[in-house]
Amino acid sequence: MAMRDTAIVAYAETKIVTRSDKDVWALGAEVLEELLNKTGMEKGEIDGLILSSSQTGAGNCFWAQATSDQLALEVDFCNIVDLGGCSPAAALARACIAIEAGLCETVFCLYADTQARENNTRPRHYQGEWTVPLGLLGPPTSFGFITNRYEHQFGLDYSMLGKLAVAQRNGAVLNDLACEKLRAPITVDDYLNSRMIADPIRLLDSVMVCDGASGLIVTSKKNAARKGFTKAITPIGYGEKTSYEFSENIVDVTNTGHMPAGHKALAQAGLKASDIKSFHPYDDFIIAMMLQFEMIGFCKKGQGCDFIREHDFNFNGDLPLNTGGGQISAGQAGLAGGGTNLIEAVRQLMGEGGARQVKDTSNAMVTGIGGIPYARNWNTSVVMVLTPNG
Amino acid sequence: METINDTLHIERTAPQSRSYSEPFWNGTKDKKLLVQYDTEVGKYQWYPRATSRFTGKHSKLEWREVKGEGEVYSFTIVRRARPPFRDHEPFFLAVVELPEGVQIMGNTVGITKEEMKIGLKVKPYWHPLPDGFHMLMWQKA
Repeated sequence: MAMRDTAIVAYAETKIVTRSDKDVWALGAEVLEELLNKTGMEKGEIDGLILSSSQTGAGNCFWAQATSDQLALEVDFCNIVDLGGCSPAAALARACIAIEAGLCETVFCLYADTQARENNTRPRHYQGEWTVPLGLLGPPTSFGFITNRYEHQFGLDYSMLGKLAVAQRNGAVLNDLACEKLRAPITVDDYLNSRMIADPIRLLDSVMVCDGASGLIVTSKKNAARKGFTKAITPIGYGEKTSYEFSENIVDVTNTGHMPAGHKALAQAGLKASDIKSFHPYDDFIIAMMLQFEMIGFCKKGQGCDFIREHDFNFNGDLPLNTGGGQISAGQAGLAGGGTNLIEAVRQLMGEGGARQVKDTSNAMVTGIGGIPYARNWNTSVVMVLTPNG
Repeated sequence: METINDTLHIERTAPQSRSYSEPFWNGTKDKKLLVQYDTEVGKYQWYPRATSRFTGKHSKLEWREVKGEGEVYSFTIVRRARPPFRDHEPFFLAVVELPEGVQIMGNTVGITKEEMKIGLKVKPYWHPLPDGFHMLMWQKA
C-alpha cells in the first residue's frame, strides 16, 4: 500500500486545558515550533499543510488557507479534513497519499481547537429540525440510546465499562499533558456512582470539553532516510467509512462502520486484531471502545464485556489502551481531540512513553469516530495501524 | 419513585423547515403523520430527505400518511439539556419503530419510568405549537 512509503518523524502536543488562555493560532504556533525543533527542519521544508476540523475555525470557510497565512507556510498542498473526531487520523492518511502522489514531500498535520475559548460552529444538519426541538443535548443522548439497546440485545456489565474508565484514568495520572482536573485516580465504584447524564450514560462515561492542539510531521521515507531520522512511524493499514448502512432505515445500532474500516485496515497491514500490541481507540464515551473491540474483531459481537474482563488495559497490561488517558481522562480538545490518541500511539511506538511506556512497540492501532447521526451510532469510523520502520 | 417530566410546559415553536420537509410540518396542522415514501422501491423513509436514501433519486418520493402506532426501539432519560428544556429535566427521548419500517424520535407524555421499556407499544400524541403546527410526541398505545 502507498502509505508504506511515508513516515511520521515527529509529533508535538500542547497541554490540554479546560479553557485556553491563548488563541487557537498561538497553539498552532507552539506545535509548529516544537516540531521544527524536534526535526531540525527549516520552516521552508514543509510543503504541505493538512488541518483537522476545528470548532474555533468552523466559522471560516477558508480555514486551512487562513492558517497557512497566519503561520506563513508556503505549501504545495493545503487541505482541511472535516470528519469530526476522525479528522486527525484521516488527515494523516491524506498526508501520506499526497506525499505518495508527489504533490508534496513533507506535511505538517495540525490538529488545533479551542472550543471552550471560542466556539464558532453553526452546523447545518438534521439536528435543528429533528432533534433540537426535542431537547436532545447531543452525543450523550445518542449514546444513551445505543447503550440501552446494547443492554437489551446482549446484556451489559457496567463494571466492565468502569474497568476501562479506571485504566484510562491511570494513564492520565502519568500524563503531564492531560487536563489537570482529570489527573486523580478513580475506582470502578466511582465510575458506577457518577451521576447520570442521559441514562445509562454517566458523567465518567463522557468526555469533558477542553482546548488543545497537537501535530505531526510526515515525510517520504526517502526524505526521512536522507535526513537521518532514526525514529520513523509508518501507517501500514487504513480503513475509513462514512455513513455506514445509511441506505437503510432500520439497522442494528450495535453494528458500526468500524467493522468494514477495521477489516480493511487489518487486511492491508497483514495483521489480525489479536496481533495488535497497543490499542488507541477513539473514546468519546466508554462504550464506544467496547463496541470497537467487537467490530474490529478483538472479540465477537456481544462479547465485549467478557473481553474486557479477561484483559489488562494498563500500559503494562496485555493490551495497553489509550495509555495517556484517552480523551475521557486527558480531556477532549474539541474536534482536534482525535489527535490525542493518535499522538500517544506515535509516542509509544517511538519509545518515548516515559513512565507509561508500553513494552511491545512493534505496532499500534488508532481509530476515529466522527459525527452523530439521527438515531444511529456515528457518521464516520476510521481505523489505522501504525508500525515503526514499517 | 422518580418522576419523568412530559415536556408539555416547555415553550417551543415549530422549527424552520427545508423546501423538501415542509409537507411534514404542514401535515402536523391536521395532526397527520406524513412520511416520505419511495414508489420505486416501495419503502418509507424517515427523517425527510431531499432524495431517496434507497435509490438516490428524488423524483419517486411522495408523502403518505401513517397511523404512527409502533414500539420503542430504544430510549434515554435526558438529565441535562439546553434552554428551553433546562430545568425541565428529567424527560424521556424515545426512538420509536413503526411497522412501515422507519424509526422516529420523540418526547413522551404520561409514560412513567417503571413503564418505559424497549418494546413498549406507543401511538402519537400531538402537542399544539404556535401557528397551528403540532409536535409529534409519544404516548402509550
